[in-house]
Amino acid sequence: MSLERTGADGGGGLMGWLEERLGLSNLVALGRKKQVPLHRHTIWYYFGGMSAFLFGIQVATGILLLLYYRPSAEEAFESVQFLMTRVPFGWLVRSIHSWSANLLIFVLFVHMFSVFFMRAYRKPRELTWVTGVFLLFLMLGFGFSGYLLPWNMLAFFATQVGTEVAGALPFIGDFALRFLRGGTQVTGGTLTRFYGMHVAVLPAITTAVLGLHLYLVQKHGMSVPQGVAPRGHHAFFPNFLLRDLIGWCVALACLATLAAVFPWELGEKADPFAPAPAGIRPEWYFVWMFQVLKILPGHVAGIEGELIGILAITLAAIFWLMVPFIDRDPAGAGESRSRRATLFTVMGWLAIAVLCALTAKEYLS
Amino acid sequence: MGESDATRRGFLNWFLGTSVGALCVSVFYPVARYISPPEIPEAETARVTAGHEEDLRPGEAKIFRFGHTPGILLRTPEGNHRAFSATCTHLNCTVQFRGDLKQIWCACHNGFYDTSGQVVSGPPPRPLEEYAVNVTGGEIIVSRK
Amino acid sequence: MSRGAARAWPLALSAAAAWLALAAGSASPDLLAQSKEPPAPERRFGPFESSCFTCHAEMDDSEQSPAVLAKQDVHFAAGLSCHDCHGGNPRGGFDGDPEAAHDTLFPQGAFRGKPDRLAAPLFCARCHADATYMKRFDPQARVDQHSEYVTSVHGRRNAAGDANVATCVDCHGMHGILAVKDPRAPVYALNVAATCARCHSNQELMTPYGRRGDPHADYKKSVHAHALYEMGDLSAPTCNDCHGSHGAAPPGVDTIANVCGSCHGREATLFRDAEMSRNMNLEACIQCAVCHSNHAIERPTIEMLGTHPGSTCVGCHLEGDAGWKAAGSMRESLERIGVRLGEARDLLDRAERAGVEVGPDRFALQEGDDNLIEARVLVHGFDLGRFNETADKGLAAAEAGIAAGQRAFAELRFRRVGLGLSLVVIAAVIIALAITIRRIEA
Repeated sequence: MSLERTGADGGGGLMGWLEERLGLSNLVALGRKKQVPLHRHTIWYYFGGMSAFLFGIQVATGILLLLYYRPSAEEAFESVQFLMTRVPFGWLVRSIHSWSANLLIFVLFVHMFSVFFMRAYRKPRELTWVTGVFLLFLMLGFGFSGYLLPWNMLAFFATQVGTEVAGALPFIGDFALRFLRGGTQVTGGTLTRFYGMHVAVLPAITTAVLGLHLYLVQKHGMSVPQGVAPRGHHAFFPNFLLRDLIGWCVALACLATLAAVFPWELGEKADPFAPAPAGIRPEWYFVWMFQVLKILPGHVAGIEGELIGILAITLAAIFWLMVPFIDRDPAGAGESRSRRATLFTVMGWLAIAVLCALTAKEYLS
Repeated sequence: MGESDATRRGFLNWFLGTSVGALCVSVFYPVARYISPPEIPEAETARVTAGHEEDLRPGEAKIFRFGHTPGILLRTPEGNHRAFSATCTHLNCTVQFRGDLKQIWCACHNGFYDTSGQVVSGPPPRPLEEYAVNVTGGEIIVSRK
Repeated sequence: MSRGAARAWPLALSAAAAWLALAAGSASPDLLAQSKEPPAPERRFGPFESSCFTCHAEMDDSEQSPAVLAKQDVHFAAGLSCHDCHGGNPRGGFDGDPEAAHDTLFPQGAFRGKPDRLAAPLFCARCHADATYMKRFDPQARVDQHSEYVTSVHGRRNAAGDANVATCVDCHGMHGILAVKDPRAPVYALNVAATCARCHSNQELMTPYGRRGDPHADYKKSVHAHALYEMGDLSAPTCNDCHGSHGAAPPGVDTIANVCGSCHGREATLFRDAEMSRNMNLEACIQCAVCHSNHAIERPTIEMLGTHPGSTCVGCHLEGDAGWKAAGSMRESLERIGVRLGEARDLLDRAERAGVEVGPDRFALQEGDDNLIEARVLVHGFDLGRFNETADKGLAAAEAGIAAGQRAFAELRFRRVGLGLSLVVIAAVIIALAITIRRIEA
C-alpha cells in the first residue's frame, strides 16, 4: 500500500489515503459552506456552541469520575472523598464537573431565551426548538440525578423533597415516586437507579436528541431575527469557529478559577435517620419550582395547593414546548412585527422576571 | 516588507502552536496523573494495611489507623496477629496493651480486656470489636468482619 | 340468777371444754407420732398452695398485702412459702381455723408471727447466713450479708436498740422481694439512690443523728448520676458502690482514695504515691473529697486547676508557695495544649473542606488528645516534672497538627499557582486566536 497521492480530490500522502476511505473533504466543504450572518444580535449565536462545549466537558470529566466513583450507599461518599483527597487532581476533576454543570445550565437558559427572543423557532425551525427544549429537560434530569451521587446530607434530603413532589402528580403520582426512588423511600436503591440514569440512560437519549438538534441546525442554517438586516456574513469555518474557540477558552479559564478558588464541598455523609438539616433546598436551577410550591396555600378551592403548583408548572412547560406552533406568523411573514410577536416578547421577559424573582426570594429569605 | 511579514506570520504561527500545545499539556498532564493509580487503590474505611509481618515480636502490640478511628494490632505469644478496635466500649478512650499483664487496658477507668477482646474487669459493657486479619506477602491486612 | 353468776357459768363451761380437748388432743396417738417424725405428705404442693397463702389471699386484697406481693417474690419463685420465714403449719387451717396454721408448737418450725422491727436482721439471717441452706438454691450465693451488716452504722445502732435505722426489709422490702438484678427492685442499680434517700433525705429523721444536708440531692447533681441515669452506664457508682451494700459506713477519711480508686485506679495510685497526700492533715483534708466533694462530684474542668479565685487549689495553697506555683504552671500547660489542639483541628477541617487530604494528620492529633487526658490525670500526682513530660508530648502533637494544617494550606496555594499558570496559558491561546482571526480577516 503506498501512501502517495492517489485521488484527484485528496491531498497528499496520508490525507489522500484517508480521503479515499472516509471522504472527509465533503464534510469540510459543508463546513466551509456554512455562513453566519452578522448583525447586532450575532453574539447570541455563540451560546449554542458554548452549551455544546460545556456538555463536552461534562462528558469528559464524568467519564474520568467513573474511574473512581462507587454507586452504593455504603461507598459513594467515601469514594468521592477518596477521589478528592487521594487521587492526584481528583479535586480538580470533581470541582470542574460540578461547576461546569451549573455553568452549563445557566448558558442553556441564556441560549434558550436568546433563541426565543430572536424568534428563531419560526418555520422551518420548529423541531429545532422542540428538540432544544427536550435537551433542557434532559440536562435538568442530569442535574437532578447527578446531585444525589455524592450521597451527602444535602443531596439526600434535596432528593427526598424533590421526589416527594413527583408523588403529588395526579393519577401517576404513586408510580412516579416509586419509579424514581426505586421503592417508597430514598435508599441505596435510589442511588443506583439515579446513577444508571445519569451515566447511561440520559446520555443515550441525549446523544440521539442532540444529534438531531445539531443536524437540524446545520440543515436550516442560522436564523435571522425579524426586521434585522445582516450587514454581512462570516464563514463558519474558520472565522466563526475561531471566535467560538476564544469563548470556550474563556469558559475554561472561568471553570479553572472556580474549581481552584471555590472548590466544591463534600459535606457530611447522608444519614437517613437523622432529622433533615435546616435550609434544605434543591440546586439553584430548581429553586423557582420549589418556591412556586412553597408560596401556594395548602388548599385552593378544595384542591391541594401542591397539585395546582405542579399542574401549573407542567402546563407552562408544555406551553413552552409548543411555542413555535402557537406563535405562527400569519401567511407571508412580513417585516413588521405582528401584535402576537410583541405579546410573546413581553411574555418572555415576564418569564425571566418571574424566574429571577422566585429564585431571589428563596435566597434572600 | 514581505520578509518581515513572513517573519511575523512565522512567529504568530509558532505562538499559536506553542500556546495551544501548552494548553493541551496543561489539560492532559492532570488527566494523565489522575488516571494513573494513586498510592492506595481505594478508601481505607473497610480495609487497611496495618504493617509488616515482622513489625511486632510475639507479645507486642501497636496502635494503627483504621479509617478515622484507632485500632490495636497485637501479636500473640504463638505468633498470630489479632486486631481490634482500640476505642474502649465504656467512654471511648484509646486502649493500650499491657505486656506485663498480657491484657489490653484502658487507663481512663481501669477497664481490662483479654487478648481476645473480651472484658475481664472494670466498667466496659461490651467486648472490643474484632477485625479480620490476613497476612499476605508479608503485609498485614486488617478489614472489618 | 345474779349478773356475776350469769357471766361465770359459760366461762367455766368453756374452760372445762378446753381442758378436755387439750387432754384428749395430747393423748391422741396421731399427734404424738407427728411430733416424732415428719409426716408423709399426701401429695406435693407448691408455695401458693400452702394454707397460709390460700387463707391470706382470700382475706386481703390490697396491693400491699403479703399474698398479693408473694406473686413476684423471689422466695416464692424458689419454691418457698410463708411458713419458711414465719413458721407455722402450712397444711393446717384449711378448715378455716387459723390456730391450726399459726401453730406455735409446730415441730418443723414454730409460728413466729410478725417479727419485731429490730429483729428483722436475725429473722432474715436465719437462712441467708446459712451457707449449707443457701447453696441448695444458688451455689454462688454470698452468706456474709448479716456479718457485714453488724459492722455497719445501721447494724450497730440496730444492736443498740434503735428501731429507726434501716434493716433488711427497709431496702429489700418485706414481701414481694425482688432480685437485685430485677429493674423493679428497690436495690436495682438505678433505684438504690432513691431507696437510701427515703431516710437519708428526710431531715426530721436525720437531724437527731447529727446528719445535715441532702446527699441524694447532691448525688443527683454529680457526674456519676449523669452517667448512671442519663447515659445508662450501669457501671457508674451509686450509694452502695462507695458505702457498701450491707456494711454501709462512710469510708474513713484516710481510705477515701481506696474507694474512689476502685474505679479511678490511676488517680488513686498517683495520689497515694504523692508526697502531698502523706503530708495531708487528716482532720482538715479528706483526700479525694477535699477537691472533688463526696456526693456532688461534678465534671472536673480546667477551672478547678490554677491560681485564680474560685479554683480548688487556692482553697489550701497560699500565694507564692510551691503548690501555688505548680498549680499555675499546670493550668497554663493544659490551657495551651487545649488551645493549640483546637487550632490544629480547625486548620485541618478547613483544609479538608477545600479538598486536601488530612486524614492521617487528624488521626495523629488523637495522640494529643490522649496526652491531654493523661496530663489531667497526672495532676493528681502533684509532681510537676512528671506532669510536664506528658504535657510536652501533648503540645508537640498539637504543634505537629498545626504544621500539617499549614502544609495543607501550602498545597492549596500550590493549586493557586497552578491555576495562575494555566490562566496564563489560556490567555496566550486567546491572544493567539485573536491575532489569527485578525490576520485571516485582514
